[in-house]
Amino acid sequence: MTAPARAVRGGLPRGLLILVATNAVIGVLGLLSQHLGVTEYNVVLVSTVLFWATQATSWNILSGFAGYFSFGQGAFYGVGVYSMAVLTGRHGVNYLLSIPVGGLVGGALAVLIGAVAFRLRSLRGEIFALLTLAVPFILSAIALNSQAIDGGVGQSLPTPSFPHWVPNFQHLVFLLNLVVATIAFAVALAVHRSRVGRGLAALHDAEDAAEVLGVPTFRYKMLAIVLGGVLGGMGGAVWAVGHYVIVDSVFNLYFPLLVILICIAGGRRHWLGPVIGAVLLVVLQEWLTASNLGNHRDIVLGVLLVAIVVFAPAGLFQRLRAHPWLALGVFLVVFISLVASGFYADLDALLYGMIAAVIVAIVAGAPAIARRLPSGRAASPTPAPTALPGTGAAAGAPAQTVRASSAVPQRAAQRGGGRVLVSIRGVSKNFGGVRALENVSFEVAEGEIVGLVGPNGSGKTTLVNLLSGAMPPDGGTIFIDGRSIKGLAAHKVAHAGVARTYQIPKPFASMTVLDNVAMAVMFGRTGASLPEAREHARRHLTTVHLGHLAESPPASLNLHQRQLLEMARAIAAEPSVLVLDEALAGLNPAEIDDAVAVIQRIHAAGISIIIVEHLLRVLQQLATRIVVLNRGALIADGAPAQVLNDPTVVHAYLGRQRA
Amino acid sequence: MNAFQVVLSGALLGGLYALMAAGVSVTWGILRVINLAHFGLILLGAYLTYELVTAWRIDPILTIVVTAPVLFVLGAALQWAYDRLNIVEFNSLLVSFGLLIIIIQIAQDIWTADHLEVPRANNRYVTGALTLGRLSVPTSRIVALLLAVVLLGGGHLVLRRTFLGRGMRAFAQDRTVAAAFGIDHRRLSVLLGGAAGASAGVAGMAFMLANFVQPTAAYEWFGIVFAVVILGGLGDLLGTLLAGISVGALTGVISQVWSQRYVTVALFIAIIVALVLRPRGVFTRGRTA
Repeated sequence: MTAPARAVRGGLPRGLLILVATNAVIGVLGLLSQHLGVTEYNVVLVSTVLFWATQATSWNILSGFAGYFSFGQGAFYGVGVYSMAVLTGRHGVNYLLSIPVGGLVGGALAVLIGAVAFRLRSLRGEIFALLTLAVPFILSAIALNSQAIDGGVGQSLPTPSFPHWVPNFQHLVFLLNLVVATIAFAVALAVHRSRVGRGLAALHDAEDAAEVLGVPTFRYKMLAIVLGGVLGGMGGAVWAVGHYVIVDSVFNLYFPLLVILICIAGGRRHWLGPVIGAVLLVVLQEWLTASNLGNHRDIVLGVLLVAIVVFAPAGLFQRLRAHPWLALGVFLVVFISLVASGFYADLDALLYGMIAAVIVAIVAGAPAIARRLPSGRAASPTPAPTALPGTGAAAGAPAQTVRASSAVPQRAAQRGGGRVLVSIRGVSKNFGGVRALENVSFEVAEGEIVGLVGPNGSGKTTLVNLLSGAMPPDGGTIFIDGRSIKGLAAHKVAHAGVARTYQIPKPFASMTVLDNVAMAVMFGRTGASLPEAREHARRHLTTVHLGHLAESPPASLNLHQRQLLEMARAIAAEPSVLVLDEALAGLNPAEIDDAVAVIQRIHAAGISIIIVEHLLRVLQQLATRIVVLNRGALIADGAPAQVLNDPTVVHAYLGRQRA
Repeated sequence: MNAFQVVLSGALLGGLYALMAAGVSVTWGILRVINLAHFGLILLGAYLTYELVTAWRIDPILTIVVTAPVLFVLGAALQWAYDRLNIVEFNSLLVSFGLLIIIIQIAQDIWTADHLEVPRANNRYVTGALTLGRLSVPTSRIVALLLAVVLLGGGHLVLRRTFLGRGMRAFAQDRTVAAAFGIDHRRLSVLLGGAAGASAGVAGMAFMLANFVQPTAAYEWFGIVFAVVILGGLGDLLGTLLAGISVGALTGVISQVWSQRYVTVALFIAIIVALVLRPRGVFTRGRTA
């Protein structure tokens, strides 16, 4: 892929360097542990932390960054484990070679799952989660029934040989885990900082909006699941090296649970979240076992899962990050003083130190976090109060306009004069027997503002969805700039030059207003790196009068501002045609005038506009032409004054008596 | 065993599946809570049945007089907590997964990890069978199917025909609007959560008529129950009943001609195919869902 490579600039090499250097130091310390007086138990503990951190990172790339929760992490890990067991145990393959093979098998499984799951249009997040829940069961059945894999008796592994500079077997496992974990963290870091990471975050927040802005959602989701599969498989293969016999219980439910818990505890939107989570939870687990509370491990994990989802859904990393030195200081003070006192074992001191650091970070960070990120409850200002004046104006306007004069009905006459940008030819769409659109044809030329009107249920929004490529027509063809968009994914249609807004604004909640627009520039027709994109984004925000709110979260905007943000995002993609789907719905008269001015400015910048609108007053002001739909059929197409006086149109809007 | 016999006994097993799936289907479809803890409630229903029959030496079916109200209260309390903490959709999946693990661990602490069954002396359904010519049907399955028809059919009528049911369906479609029309969603959802809990009690009893129970049985129900829920259509009880019977017949045939171990594989393939072809549920008509 060239796209992520292009964006990998700036902070990334430095981040990778720090990561590799840190892990190299850990590796050297580990190898010298016997000379440093570190017990082997602690080497195994670090090894275990690295293993879980790898699995959690593998899970997090798809499920954390993109928000597609999976209960199937055990599947990637399991195929890695079995790859190692079967290759080394049955075919005498070297274990170092088997680790990448385990990764490849995990990746292949990911391709299979992704190709099925992400092609299902009806697939919602919860159903994806349940499907992934099934995958380990299925693999377990296959492993048990296949004599070539397990056959129900398990598979033993040979003892690996290792070079003389590795002190012993546990150090070998530690080193292998460290290498695979370093690769995993580096991949997660690279994805997080790159274009792909931005795209995944956008589709996490609002997938269809991301797709129409030009994010290739299917490709990115596939990339994320495959990277996760490869890393999970490699981690599983290393796990197998450390064990003598493998049985099919590797596909258990406890495994994905702990992985999910680690990521939720640590935080899912940053690559370091799973690492922090793994450190905390593995130490907690070990402490439970060491304190003879191992039997209640499940209860503790269950309670933690419930508590974290309810009370700290964003994870602990965010809290620790706000006060990193304070947290580190508290940890070191508690840890060192407990160890020095001589009354506490290392593990106790470690756990108590971490708990103290977490508590301090939560307490100290709480007001700061609250100030920066408004809580979920405040996130949705209700549009209700502003809705009333807008609808009032809508009710008054059409009646006046229609009564005004009595011209002859006439089909499309006035063209903008430029070349044809959008050509809709004989388009039909059915929804399970309901005919939403029937044989609709019209064109939009360069420089036009075409008003698309019709009563509720007449097929306007369906037509917008077809135009933006969100769904394919059942019959007919749509040409953008002379090119058929048949079979094109929505992001390709966006690149062909169509941008749209949503009737109900769908901002990316996790990004600032500026970055919402920058996303559209990054993934738009020209493409750009994030710093460049932010420059352009400022300009587009100024166009829609939102410049002063650039750094605010979208949740703090009112309805009018959100609709302006939708428009800024749409024009940031540099479209040739902008489709506004009821972009003025629910606004008061003053806001409407403001929005009309913005639309006129956008039009003046050379963008043709298709506007779906109920307010005929606005259309008379804006539109160069009006197209009317009724019950899925096109009933009028022409200059505003002619169309609004067409008896068929009046009949469709007002019913028989008035006609 | 001839082919018809295989299909018939499988289909009758579907009664139990439908009973287990009903609660998951309504809470998911109407309250948007994917309640994995429901499997824990079924498990508790099964263990309660075991305890009551062992202690009182009564007919297992009579135990629902106690188990259904107890689990109604538990289910209602659970739903009340979900509402208070505003846990829906994905979070409910995670939270209820945590709760399920806790319930299973507690069950293991109380009843051990051993297989337990209702004393055979008190359970005439475990060996009983109805013979019709060459066909033979275990009575336990007939009881489960009858209960499923009564409960799910009755529930379907309540949801479709009564004011209460209409309120619930309005609530499923749009909470805010329903609230604006005077529908008290807290009370309705607690009531619905309680009804789901009671159905778990009945399902647990029906399970004990012919099976051993152990704590991890809850995990084994996942595949079949979610297949029934998704194939039946979320919140559609009649669809759930029909899906239960179809899934039962399918699993019967697969374990007969192939292997018990491939049942889960086949079920999930069925779910995927159903999601592609009929995303609103296989038995749901038109756009009425």
